[in-house]
Amino acid sequence: MRKFNEIADFGKELMALEEMDNVLDLISSKAKELVNADRCSIFIVDIEDQILWTKHSDGIGRIVISLESGIVGDTYLKKEPQIVNNPYEDSRFLPKIDKKSGYTTRNMITIPIFNSKRDVMGVIQLLNKSRGDFEPQDLETLTFFANYVSGSLELVLMQDS
Amino acid sequence: MTYANTYHTLAQFGRELLEKKTLSQGLPLISLYAKNVMKAERCSIFIYDPKDKTFWTTLADNVERIVIPSDKGLVGETLHERKPIVTNDPYSHPNFLSEIDKETGFITKSVITAPIFSSKREILGVFQLLNKEDGFDQDDVKFMIFFSHYISGFLELTNDYLKKEI
Repeated sequence: MRKFNEIADFGKELMALEEMDNVLDLISSKAKELVNADRCSIFIVDIEDQILWTKHSDGIGRIVISLESGIVGDTYLKKEPQIVNNPYEDSRFLPKIDKKSGYTTRNMITIPIFNSKRDVMGVIQLLNKSRGDFEPQDLETLTFFANYVSGSLELVLMQDS
Repeated sequence: MTYANTYHTLAQFGRELLEKKTLSQGLPLISLYAKNVMKAERCSIFIYDPKDKTFWTTLADNVERIVIPSDKGLVGETLHERKPIVTNDPYSHPNFLSEIDKETGFITKSVITAPIFSSKREILGVFQLLNKEDGFDQDDVKFMIFFSHYISGFLELTNDYLKKEI
């Protein structure tokens, strides 16, 4: 397990970026690599409009959902990560997004990203682990990862608004 | 908007910090930067040891560690309340430990603290600055909260996870 050393190197790369788009891209490609997931979306919380939005998700473009909808919305509400290895049997799951993208979600892990005020400012969502299902070990890695990138993300979001 | 410019240049500090491979290399940089931008005379970072219920911090030479109980003073109160504390009149604050000033000969005129949280939202440490010329205000509190969060990833990585990989 050299994951945390890898994250340390990744941190340097992340800090070198100033544009929000690049920051989101780099976070999402690293998150996929860390847990061998096929797709990643980073949802940003917009309290004013009561929505969660993504800049561009893998294979589908921009997604906008209401704050409480889907497993991502539930992650925001509960402030807790979620592992869902049977999404089509989960009442919170939004199959319409699969329909729109033509993709089939087999399993999912979501992690809240907290800002310095300890409010949820975003949610990292990963889909389809390459072998098997998402496990508690993935959750630990990603929980750490989400906090590690949160300072940079808060800073770029602050400068973007 | 006292800190508007600071936020803008913070990523530069972040890059320098991530060049440091260990906690003991990073702490002096954090401390120096915090003192400069907040215009404070002293800075201490107390790292929490939940097993022993103590904090450790380094003295000015960064080699020797001192250990203090975690239920005492303004640092202990920060741990307990999980919130920043600011006082511009420490000697009349019930939790201030004036004995430390007596021992060191330093006179504390103002104090600001902030908890540092881990990814599991447990307390990793307490960040403390002493003596700002005109006292600390709400802008300082806001910046402390932001800054403690900003450095928390580095602290958690070097204090906890990297150790497990060596």
